[in-house]
Amino acid sequence: MNELIQKAKSLLESNTVQVVIGYGKGSADKTRAIFLTKPEDCDQLLFDSRCVQNLAVYLTKHEIKHLGKPAIVAPIPVLRSILQLAAENQLKESDLVVLGVSPESKLIEFESFGAIEVFLETHKIEIDEKYKATIDKIKAMPVSERFAFWMEELEPCFKCYACRAACPLCYCPKCTVENNQPQWIPAASHLLGNLEWHVMRAMHLAGRCTDCEACYTACPMGIPIHLLTKSMLQDVEEHFGPYGPSVGKQNTLSSFNPDDKESFIR
Amino acid sequence: MTEFEPKIVAFVCNWCTYAGADLTGTSRIKYAQNVKIIRFPCTGRIDFMLLLKAFGEGADGIIVSGCHPNDCHYTSGNFHARRRWIMFRGLLDLLGIDVRRIQYSWVSAAEGAKWADVVNTTVTAIRELGPYTDYAKVANYLEKEANV
Amino acid sequence: MSKIGVFICHCGENISATVDCGKVAEVAGKLEGVAYSTDYKYMCSDPGQTIIKQMIKEKGLDGVVVAACSPRMHEPTFRKACSEAGLNPYLCEMANLREHCSWVHDKSDATTQKAIDIVRTLVEKVKHNKPLSTIKVPVTKTALVIGGGIAGIQASLDIANAGHQVVLVEKEPSIGGHMSQLSETFPTLDCSQCILTPRMVEVAQHPNITLMTYAELEKLDGFIGNFKATIRKKAKSLDEKLCTGCGLCTTKCPTKKIPSEFNEGLGYRTAIYVPFPQAVPNKPVIDKANCSYYQKGKCKVCEKVCPTGAIRFDQEDELVELEVGAVVVATGFNVMTTSEFSEYGYGKYPDVITGLQFERLASASGPTLGEIRRPSDGKIPEKIVFIACAGSRDPAKGKPYCSKICCMYTAKHAMLYQHKVHHGESYVFYMDIRAAGKNYDEFTRRAIVEDKVNYLRGRVSKVYEENGKLIVKGVDTLLNAKPVEIEADMVVLASAGVANPGSEELAQKMHISYDAYNFFSEAHPKLKPVETNTAGIYLAGACQAPKDIPETVSQASGAAAKVAILFSQNELSREPVVAVVNRSAPPLYSTCVGCFMCATACPYNAIGEEEIKDRKGNVIKKVAKVNPGLCQGCGTCVAFCRSKSIDLDGYTNEQMYSEVMALLNE
Repeated sequence: MNELIQKAKSLLESNTVQVVIGYGKGSADKTRAIFLTKPEDCDQLLFDSRCVQNLAVYLTKHEIKHLGKPAIVAPIPVLRSILQLAAENQLKESDLVVLGVSPESKLIEFESFGAIEVFLETHKIEIDEKYKATIDKIKAMPVSERFAFWMEELEPCFKCYACRAACPLCYCPKCTVENNQPQWIPAASHLLGNLEWHVMRAMHLAGRCTDCEACYTACPMGIPIHLLTKSMLQDVEEHFGPYGPSVGKQNTLSSFNPDDKESFIR
Repeated sequence: MTEFEPKIVAFVCNWCTYAGADLTGTSRIKYAQNVKIIRFPCTGRIDFMLLLKAFGEGADGIIVSGCHPNDCHYTSGNFHARRRWIMFRGLLDLLGIDVRRIQYSWVSAAEGAKWADVVNTTVTAIRELGPYTDYAKVANYLEKEANV
Repeated sequence: MSKIGVFICHCGENISATVDCGKVAEVAGKLEGVAYSTDYKYMCSDPGQTIIKQMIKEKGLDGVVVAACSPRMHEPTFRKACSEAGLNPYLCEMANLREHCSWVHDKSDATTQKAIDIVRTLVEKVKHNKPLSTIKVPVTKTALVIGGGIAGIQASLDIANAGHQVVLVEKEPSIGGHMSQLSETFPTLDCSQCILTPRMVEVAQHPNITLMTYAELEKLDGFIGNFKATIRKKAKSLDEKLCTGCGLCTTKCPTKKIPSEFNEGLGYRTAIYVPFPQAVPNKPVIDKANCSYYQKGKCKVCEKVCPTGAIRFDQEDELVELEVGAVVVATGFNVMTTSEFSEYGYGKYPDVITGLQFERLASASGPTLGEIRRPSDGKIPEKIVFIACAGSRDPAKGKPYCSKICCMYTAKHAMLYQHKVHHGESYVFYMDIRAAGKNYDEFTRRAIVEDKVNYLRGRVSKVYEENGKLIVKGVDTLLNAKPVEIEADMVVLASAGVANPGSEELAQKMHISYDAYNFFSEAHPKLKPVETNTAGIYLAGACQAPKDIPETVSQASGAAAKVAILFSQNELSREPVVAVVNRSAPPLYSTCVGCFMCATACPYNAIGEEEIKDRKGNVIKKVAKVNPGLCQGCGTCVAFCRSKSIDLDGYTNEQMYSEVMALLNE
């Protein structure tokens, strides 16, 4: 941790970066994202198991970009998001300094996105068995029961869009939901609108989601929307091969293989 | 008691399936009435949200049809569509939206008879599944709200 | 509020027989935004179109829906009419009440209701139509002709004589195709080579034609007026500029026993070879697969004897990129081989041959110098049986179609045999005699009456060998199905015409349609026999379906005329159904986030980058930009865009959404 703080201080002192994005003390024993512009403030940086927010979400916000070049504290989920953002032309190597944090809380300095990719080769995305079991259990239900299950889960959603705000890959300045010609997603929080919103969100993340669970963490109603994205992740792997953010790689959905297999088209 | 007549929307591509359906007409092959066609330039253009919207507006079944792989008029539109449908179908299935109500097919401009068959088999299948009341209940939420 | 005009067509009785057009017009008239609604017997006729034009002017219509046949039929007709009345043509849509409704359902209330639903859907779409103007692109006035048989030769000459450049690509070492293999042609019994070779020479010498033989199409990109073709010129192992065509190398080559493709396997050729004496260009190629040097590193005799030193063993395939404006596909056909007939010996009897092999026997430049001799022992056959419809009209062989030319060439073969072997007996087992062309029936009559060819109406169930003779077991249905057994010396199968191997891959390379038999599909079986569904690519000859020489030449000239029409303009007007990325006021400039998923999906590389800069020249963001000249209007990009920043003119999100809503809500 000390290493990280020293590095952050030196980056600010030398004006290599103008802001350090990291984790700091929040309220009620939680952590929150902090944005440090003065070297002496770097002592506020911390890192432990409470740090679950995905800081990469701030890299595309114009309020942060306004502050100047950032250095970002990046545990593995954040590293994956950074790579995915780079693959989608949202970040260049010269736009930021990455202060990687290994699972053992050691600082890793990455000079390039390629280096991040090499590191992530040994930390591939793996869906926890408990989620796989839950998804299988849901899929085993008969159709009507499955639908009823999800309608019950989605009922508490009141369209706060916290899931959208927390996801680093939701960076469109004008989201589909903000279109009213035509109105793709009704704004009111009734079941139909909730369903349509979550379907759209999952589809827009297909092939891109890096399984950081920020969406679920952010949801004030505790709706298991991460099950949708995890299931999509499984589907991509099953049908189209190994999964993982990579700068040169084409997005799964916007590429194709003439031999893609399916069983339902006659 | 009148027999339930399903409402089915077909999203088809102009160059293959729409032309194939034209051929069905030119050949005077009769088929079930329940399917109405919306014309797209390519299956690649079909936004998945439109399928959900169709269910939301009362469709009991959907047909999505385009050119056979390798034969797309625009080269690869149907390949992209196929990937999209694979993902979309998986998602809908997880959510409990009845994917048996969506029939995907490849119908070429020469396959007039196949189009008639796709229509007839889909109509029969949907008739057996019955009206899509599960979805309608959710979709008519708005009406309930308005009446309050 | 929109002012839409709805025009319901009866199409004579085609629509009105099952749909109550009056009722549809009545209900349509009450829809919100419809200012005028009527029905009429023939909307596409002159008076019908006049009604539309009049109402546009009288009622000040800002949108038109013509509910009639398929838009694939008459959309251009009605759009032109609207344009003439001063309404932007893209504010006109067609509702398909005929092919998709009246023709496929019985007369009932439900059918009329469906027609009403269809009309309502298009009315809602038109409310969101925007005026669009055509896009102009330049036209490259060079044509690519693929295939150097008589079809390709004719098309090339016509296009070249019209003053345009032509590149003729042929995969064999010489042009000429199957016509160069024929001995005489029906119905005149003209010597095939004598009428063909002058044309072949004309092609080689024409200043506007570039001939590439031993070459194939590798890749085709682009669109009408602007194709980019990549041609693979296979290595001939020869410097064509030095070779004089003296032929010394072919006489000295030690590998002499390679079955000759030109002689349909009945004769031999050398590894360095010219396919036939009248070949154009008359220069040899080395068959690498059979050459001792390429296979074993030995020999090189040809290089030693060549007086000009033209042999080049190190020559590689060359890839040539061409910019062309139109493509004519004239790749021809093939015939089924004897090995595909289990009932006629599976190809193991050397004296059971195909019609094309018989041509080579009859031909003066063939393996037997024009004498009809048995391939097995070289003896002259006393009795020949010709089996017509071998494989054709036979669903069991996967070819339910008629191969068109076999009745005629079978009669011709029998006649040639009788002319050459006066005492010979010939028998033709036939199902029908299809001799429908000019002088064709008289020709077949001549075979029967003058040359005494025995025509037996019946099929042959089996051919087998016994004591050096071929036993043919058939039946004569005109004599009450009397079984007929003939001890023949030779059997000729008029085997079915089939598509060339590799046709499917070629069609896919060019994005043209093909049918279940791999013949290429014409755009319309009646009215567009030389065009394909892909604009700018035309068809000529037997690659579309088996046909004889006069039809092939006609079709080739037809395709050439289409090319000449295309090249008569300097600029092509393209449909403005293209994608557009939105632009808005600063500071957003565009809702596009620059992820370029659309660009990766575009099959035509039509989407590029645009840098949005501030007043100081600093780049604020990079957004997507569509090149309207390249975009073909598939809309795949639109379905991908997460921020809905790109839309397809003519099929916008608003239009498609309103269609779905209108369809399901009455």
